[in-house]
Order: sequence, then structure tokens, then C-alpha cells
Amino acid sequence: MSAVLDHPGHHAHDDHHHAPAGWRRWVYATNHKDIGTLYLLFSFTMLMVGGVLALLIRAELFQPGLQLVNPELFNQLTTMHGLIMVFGAIMPAFVGFANWMIPLQIGAPDMAFARMNNFSFWLLIPAGLMLVGSFFMPGGAPAAGWTLYAPLTLQMGPSMDAGIFAMHIMGASSIMGSINIIVTVLNMRAPGMTLMKMPMFCWTWLITAYLLIAVMPVLAGAITMTLTDRHLGTTFFNPAGGGDPVMYQHIFWFFGHPEVYIMILPAFGIISQVVPAFSRKRLFGYASMVYATSSIAILSFIVWAHHMFTTGMPVTGQLFFMYATMLIAVPTAVKIFNWIATMWEGSMTFETPMLWAVGFIFVFTIGGFTGLILAMAPIDIVLQDTYYVVAHFHYVLVAGSLFAMFAGFYYWAPKWTGVMYNERMGQIHFWWSMISFNITFFVMHFLGLAGMPRRYADYPAQFADFNAVATIGAFGFGLAQVFFFFVVVLPMMRGQGEPAPQRPWNDADGKGAEGLEWEVPSPAPFHTFETPPQLDASGNRLLQPQLGGRSH
Amino acid sequence: MTDRDDQKRRNLRMALILATIAAAFFLGVIAKYILFAG
Repeated sequence: MSAVLDHPGHHAHDDHHHAPAGWRRWVYATNHKDIGTLYLLFSFTMLMVGGVLALLIRAELFQPGLQLVNPELFNQLTTMHGLIMVFGAIMPAFVGFANWMIPLQIGAPDMAFARMNNFSFWLLIPAGLMLVGSFFMPGGAPAAGWTLYAPLTLQMGPSMDAGIFAMHIMGASSIMGSINIIVTVLNMRAPGMTLMKMPMFCWTWLITAYLLIAVMPVLAGAITMTLTDRHLGTTFFNPAGGGDPVMYQHIFWFFGHPEVYIMILPAFGIISQVVPAFSRKRLFGYASMVYATSSIAILSFIVWAHHMFTTGMPVTGQLFFMYATMLIAVPTAVKIFNWIATMWEGSMTFETPMLWAVGFIFVFTIGGFTGLILAMAPIDIVLQDTYYVVAHFHYVLVAGSLFAMFAGFYYWAPKWTGVMYNERMGQIHFWWSMISFNITFFVMHFLGLAGMPRRYADYPAQFADFNAVATIGAFGFGLAQVFFFFVVVLPMMRGQGEPAPQRPWNDADGKGAEGLEWEVPSPAPFHTFETPPQLDASGNRLLQPQLGGRSH
Repeated sequence: MTDRDDQKRRNLRMALILATIAAAFFLGVIAKYILFAG
């Protein structure tokens, strides 16, 4: 029975209709909202673990010389920081958003495969434990970098096997999650919700899910070959037996570059929801947004070797990958242009979600531009493996993916929890994070341009000042996220705060956030859209008058 | 067959196709380097 549509006036009872209690609710969870919550909590935990590793790295780099950790442990810290953040924090967090929002946005009762959804999530726990636990194995954690390059991976201790196994499990989880998302979006949309009426977040996730299906198996293949090289006597990547370590890099980056877009396209989707809501306008250029997202996804398959300009490829190869990479700037610029055009002459307000969205556009564009600079082969050869690259991808992945997630959290959490966050605290979180993020990573551009290489535990004295600044910024940024958890997340989870109206972002004229998720009460009932809803021509509203809940 | 059964069948068919594609990519990458090394 649909809690929202079938029982007007009884939503308080239906909020908990069929909701199991206690630990069974979470271990046996098949409800997309519960599984979304589990994903988000898991990813935040991994964000904290990866963050602690990052702070250890920054603490070591606060001064020249070796203070806290030896170089071997330093390499383990950088490797595990990357793996945990990419596979444990960012990717699962976006799957959490997808679980919560896709069924709500397309008018579906749940994900297509609810039990597989549960399995996808619970696979992550042993994988995460194995990754983190590898620190305690003989020889320490994997230390070959998050890219797991051969021949380093062939020379490492047993923790590399644990790391590879963890990656396999996380990859399987991702593929199952992707299949679930594709089938849900393509088969379970409410009648009248055509593909070109679908919210941008669903579009970006649909494209991301296809990317995942295409490239996660490629990574699985590469690390399986690494595993057989380590234990079964094959020599795919071992030059001693005729293998080729550079071939590993080709296979890895055929996965790795689309992976970058896997981590940013859902972020684009979130921003495409938030900007129109707080500009009180429809998204400018919806169709072009869809085509731009698709173009980025397609182009992501033909740019992988820009990560390998220094491996000695022919000039024609360098030129191809250079121009192909620069081409991606075009659809990306279309998106940036459309967000700005959406804001143009809009009735803008700057609640916390919009602050994060505007902040995202500002800092992500910086990361995009440094990406263009790195795309040029002659410049990349100079800057390869310097802190300029570290600055670039943190501007894309922290200021891009993470900031967009914060925008999405502040935007949708009132719908999830039924209470509003404290606006002042949200704004403090934004400004604290934004300032400390730039203190941390902006100076890394200068370090890289001056020639400081990444993945080194020590450095000459001329790099000391900027490193000290970056470390101070990093601790500030870390503290901001602790503040976020205790001052924003926990109170909302406990239901402390002003009751959230059904449409918290609409102004007095009713303009603001659009989409089916705002057609259900706050908090969203345990079951929604169990019978297919009837939509108006826009696909954004129900034809029936809104029932139940705290309306605006 | 009810609409719900029909939808379950369509969902399962699409999932199997996608899983087959993923498995083919996984095995294809390894097979390529076994059969055409370098």
C-alpha cells in the first residue's frame, strides 16, 4: 500500500508501515531509503578513516625531515588514503544518494532488485574492513599507490592480496548497484515520466551506471592478472617473463579515467537539482545537459593515456590523447554555462545547499582549468607526479564530488529526516570548509610548479612554508567535517530541529524545488509510490492534490 | 500474467543482459592478454 497516495490523512501511521524494528531493519534492509542511509553512513565513516590517513600525511609533511612516520609507512598512507576515499567514501556515498533519491524522483516504489541492493551494500563491510585491516598484516598495507601499478604490486607482501580482494568485492558491489540503477530507471519510471522529463540527478546516475558496467570489469581483469602474476606464475606485467608493466597502466587508466567521471557525473546531477531550486527557475538547457553528460561519458573512454604522457608513447599518440582530453572541456563548459544561465535573473537565495552549489561551481572550475593545463602533453611532462597534479585532482574530487554531496545532503536531508538543519551551523560548515580547503590545496599548485614531487615523505627546505600552510588548512578542513557530523548530521538523525515542511525550499509564490520527491511528506514515508502515481504534463507534479504531511 | 510479474520478468532479463556484458568485459580483458600478449 502506498503510504502517500492511498491513505490520505493517515501518513503518520503509514510512516512506519511495515518498517521492521531493531537490528533486523538494517541487516535485512530491502527498503531503498534504509539502504541509502546505510550507504551514506558507511561512506561517511570511510571519509573519516581516509581523512585520518590524510592528516597523518599532512602532519608528516608539516616540516622537512622525517618526524612521525617512516617512508614505507608514508607510502602506505598515501595508497590507502586514495583507495579508501575513492572506493570507500565517494563511490558509496553517491550510491547512497541514488538509493534514496532515484525511486522517489521517478515515482517508483523501490529499486528493481531490493535484495540485491541489500547484498551490494553488505559486501562493502568486509571489503572496507579488509582494506583498513591490511595495515596490520605482515609488511603493512599496500604501498603501490592507489593505481596499484606493476611491478610494485608484484613485489609487495600479503596485504596486496587483501587489497586486491577488497577491490574485487567493491567492484562486484558497484556492478550490482549499477545494474540495479539502470533497470530501475529504465523499467520502473511512473507513467508519463519520459526519459527527457527525468530529473538530471537520475540522468547523470543512469549514464554513470553504464560507465561503471563498462569499466569496473576492466579493473577487475587488471587486478586479477596482477593476482595471477603474484601467485600462479603468469607474467602479464612482469618484464622478467616477457610481460609489460606499462600495459598495466594502459588497462588501469582505461578504467581510471572513466572512474573520474563516475565520481563527478552524479555530482553534476546534484548541482543541476540544487541550482534551479534556489534560483526559482527551471534548469537552463535541460536537453543540452543530458547530451553534455553523455558526451563526457563517451569521451572519457578515449583519453586514458593522458595519465601516461611520460611513459614514452609516440608523439602522434600524445597529440591524440591531448586533443581528445581538451575536447572534454566543451561539454563540461556547456554544463557550467547552463548552471550560470539558470542563475541569471533568478530569484536567488543562498541557503546552505545553494552556497555549496555555487562554491562547487567556483572551485570545480578551477580544478577543470588545471586539468586542461595538465592535458597539454608538453606541460604535463614537466608537471607529471608533482603537487600540481595533487592540487588538480583534489579540486575536482573534494571541491567537486564532496562539495556536491554536501549540497545534496543539505538539500534533501529535510526530506529524509523530517527536520531542518540549523541554517547558521550549515553556513558555518560551508565557509569553514571552503576556506580551509583552499588553504590546503591552492598552495599545492605553487609547490608543484616549483617541482615538489608527490608521494615523498620528505622534501627540501625551500618547500617548507607552503607545506606548513597546507597542513594547517588540512587540519582545519578535517575539523570542519567533525563539526558537520556532530552539529548538523547527528541532531538531524535524532530528529532535533524545526519540523521540515513538505516543500522546504519553495518561496511564498510556490517557486523553488521541483520533482516528485517534494510531492511526498517530510520525512518521506517508509513506503512511497507503491501504486504508480499519475503525473502532470511536466512530470514534476502529481495530478492528485497533495495529501498529508506538513505542507509549506 | 500480472503487470507485476511482467515487470519482474523484464527487470530480470535486462539485469542478466547487463551482467553478461560485465562478465564479458572482465573475461575479455584477460583473454586479450593471454591470446594477444603485448
